[in-house]
Amino acid sequence: MKYVGKPTPRVEDDVILRGRATYVDDIEPPGVLYAGFVRSPYPHARVIKVDLTDVVVAKGVVAVFSSEPPFALGGKVRYQGEAVAMVLARDRYLLQDALEKAVVEYEPLPPVLDMYEAMKPGAPLVDESLGTNVVYDKTYEGGDAALRGAVVIEGRLSVRRVIPSAMEPRGVVAVYDGNMLTIWTSTQVPFDVKKEVASALNLPLSSVRVIQPYVGGAFGSKVLVYPEEIYVAAAAYRLTTAVKWTATRSEDFKTTTHGRAMDLEYKVGVSKDGRVETIEGVIYADAGAYYWGEGLVDTAARMLTGPYDVKYARVRAVAVLTNKTPLGAYRGAGRPEATFFIERIMDRVADELGLDPVEVRKKNLIKQLPHTNPFGITYDTGNYIATFEKALEKLGYFKLKKWAEEEWEKNKRMIGVGFSTYVEITTFGHETVIMRVERDGSVTVYTALAPHGQGLATALAQIVAEELEIPMERVRVVWGDTAHVPDGVGTMGSRSITAGGSAAILAVRQMKSKLAEAAAEVLKCQPEYKEGVFHCGGKSVELRDVVKHMYKKRIQPIVEVTYRAEATFPFGVHIAVVEIDPETGFVKPLIYKSYDDVGVVVNPLLAAGQIHGGALQGISQALYEEAIYDNAGNLITQNLALYPLPTAVEAPVFEVHFAEEFHPSKHPTGTKGVGEIAAIAAPPAVVNAVEDAVRKTSRARFCKTPITPEEIYNAIWKIAPPLC
Amino acid sequence: MKISLKINGVLHEVEVEPRKLLVHLLRDLGYKSVKVGCDTATCGVCTVLLNGRPVKSCNLLAVQTDGAEIMTVEHNEMESLRVSFKKHHASQCGYCTSAMLTIAYYLKKTAKTREEIVEGLSGVLCRCTGYQNIIEAI
Repeated sequence: MKYVGKPTPRVEDDVILRGRATYVDDIEPPGVLYAGFVRSPYPHARVIKVDLTDVVVAKGVVAVFSSEPPFALGGKVRYQGEAVAMVLARDRYLLQDALEKAVVEYEPLPPVLDMYEAMKPGAPLVDESLGTNVVYDKTYEGGDAALRGAVVIEGRLSVRRVIPSAMEPRGVVAVYDGNMLTIWTSTQVPFDVKKEVASALNLPLSSVRVIQPYVGGAFGSKVLVYPEEIYVAAAAYRLTTAVKWTATRSEDFKTTTHGRAMDLEYKVGVSKDGRVETIEGVIYADAGAYYWGEGLVDTAARMLTGPYDVKYARVRAVAVLTNKTPLGAYRGAGRPEATFFIERIMDRVADELGLDPVEVRKKNLIKQLPHTNPFGITYDTGNYIATFEKALEKLGYFKLKKWAEEEWEKNKRMIGVGFSTYVEITTFGHETVIMRVERDGSVTVYTALAPHGQGLATALAQIVAEELEIPMERVRVVWGDTAHVPDGVGTMGSRSITAGGSAAILAVRQMKSKLAEAAAEVLKCQPEYKEGVFHCGGKSVELRDVVKHMYKKRIQPIVEVTYRAEATFPFGVHIAVVEIDPETGFVKPLIYKSYDDVGVVVNPLLAAGQIHGGALQGISQALYEEAIYDNAGNLITQNLALYPLPTAVEAPVFEVHFAEEFHPSKHPTGTKGVGEIAAIAAPPAVVNAVEDAVRKTSRARFCKTPITPEEIYNAIWKIAPPLC
Repeated sequence: MKISLKINGVLHEVEVEPRKLLVHLLRDLGYKSVKVGCDTATCGVCTVLLNGRPVKSCNLLAVQTDGAEIMTVEHNEMESLRVSFKKHHASQCGYCTSAMLTIAYYLKKTAKTREEIVEGLSGVLCRCTGYQNIIEAI
């Protein structure tokens, strides 16, 4: 039975496609109360008085909460949308009526919205207790500082703030029945929610159960435990009732973490033939109102040298508080920023020295793996130069370049072709699997992973079915319930199959030896295992009979395995082809191609789906998306009518390849992760492609995402071509 | 107000507040496949067929649909599209999928070219799939 490596449709689809998938807002416990929040219209203000007199007596209102613990509401608000009071009502419409009756007196404080302003002495302080807005400042340095390139190039690059925009807004339902607190929440981390709720309410962990229902997308934005999850759980516990909160879209855009928002100031030393010897720089992250996005700027700094053999690097990682929505993980979380920075630097080096960007990559790519980068991160396996060359050939890069030239000569079509290459760090932490062989020989697998669209139940079933040599239909994967598994991390960082899948493989191996011991007792000889049957001495016994024997002997056909997974490193090359309308500066992404060495690919159908979706997010980051605040700290792009997500019309045609000669990770699955690579590789490839197209008429270098039609128009018509 | 409407062929007579949106009525009646994803009639995840044409059910008052026939993804006629969506991996998180299937059902009958399908799908946002597999499934 061969399942790993085969394109396999998802078992999840049998539920989703019938409209039977239950998301958190679909859950309506009897007598549920609807929660809503009074939120600050100011980005920075002292809360003088919260007057809920009219709210309390409004039709349908059951309870209100403001400043008493554990509701840390009130005091000072640090971003627009921060909650100051919570209202519970019997009906959603009545709840909205009641929320409008709240009267809150604020003393507005001057907001600080620009991180460079925030770093200046005398700037308004987001958190007075720190005495500064610089909430984090750490320098990473490594390599041989004596090496200096002959040419010094300096510059500044910027990846602007974006909104992750999962199609399902956040939400949570909590029920306290007098004995047990059960929480359903749209999350990537059910175990973290359990721990934080238990700690906030001083409850034993055994009294809190967190269920992750179907989750309508997350992309890193649901990787934190949010205040609303605590507030709703606390309200249900206090009142011994059922409470539900569902964010409206504008509420979600203001309170769910934003992503990216990093700048790099850099200085590179380059040899005349294009070898980047040294990189020095500062990465600034606009952390927003609370430093919830710990580690993001560090990842960007420590991966800044990318897949290149840079001899010396020194990078300062700085995070700055501002009166904006807190920054958090967004698909790639530090790696897209690092990759955009280093790829733009490589393109600039090529441009300044008059070299082919392909040759510059070949000159700088790491020649031998494993390789430890200047910051001490060891890339595990791969052959970067061979994979790079193979990718360009397989993706038809030079042919596309030629075609774009011809289209310009013949038809004056402004088509640009760009590529990027990357190395990504994935996978960390432990993951747990509990596996039980049922009395009929079928298998139930409980995982602590928290999938939300990736198809992990399918992929895990493939892995278990292959390892146990039984039909996949006889393996059922259960996820998203802290009642089943003691602990785990969840789904993030392209880690799930590598960490959770490896735990599953080890569980099958343990189970096999446990079953073999029992089978030996039944058969009275040392058996061989093949496809669900143990054989020896001309006799055989099936799994179901082995299990029967085990129960008779009081042995449980259950194993529990926790696997701790070290980091592993995918590598690849992506190509974007775009066409610019010179009359408007608008860009149409035409084609997107990828070639990745992600180790073993468990399910090529699902892996390609991850590339499609990640790439469109990256394309959109490069061309359309930016979270924009006005000078008063209002989030202008506060809903989907004002924040442009790509539709089917903007999507390019995708062509996905996985390397035939791949380099497995050292984990039992051999996988390296696939969830984030396209979101990492796409922005530099797209910007590179736009630049390539613009250069038909004008020399320009783009140095930020997104590139707007206005900037492109100004470049094409030489009104203000950026050259940074 | 009292209204009557047929949902997936079943007649419903219900008392609704005049301000209630169609999407909330449908969800209250148990048609939970109809989702809410925004408050500006932009995302399209609440799309249903109203007398055979796709509409965003958050953009209609329930009372406007008195006497109407509504079709949601729970309807059995979706089966062949379900098979195709599964085969092409046209769904990931699933939150837009009911709307995508509903639009697909309509486009199967009306769209003649790939361009018309793409244009037709542009009223529903999907953040996961990059759209290609949905287009191919249709």
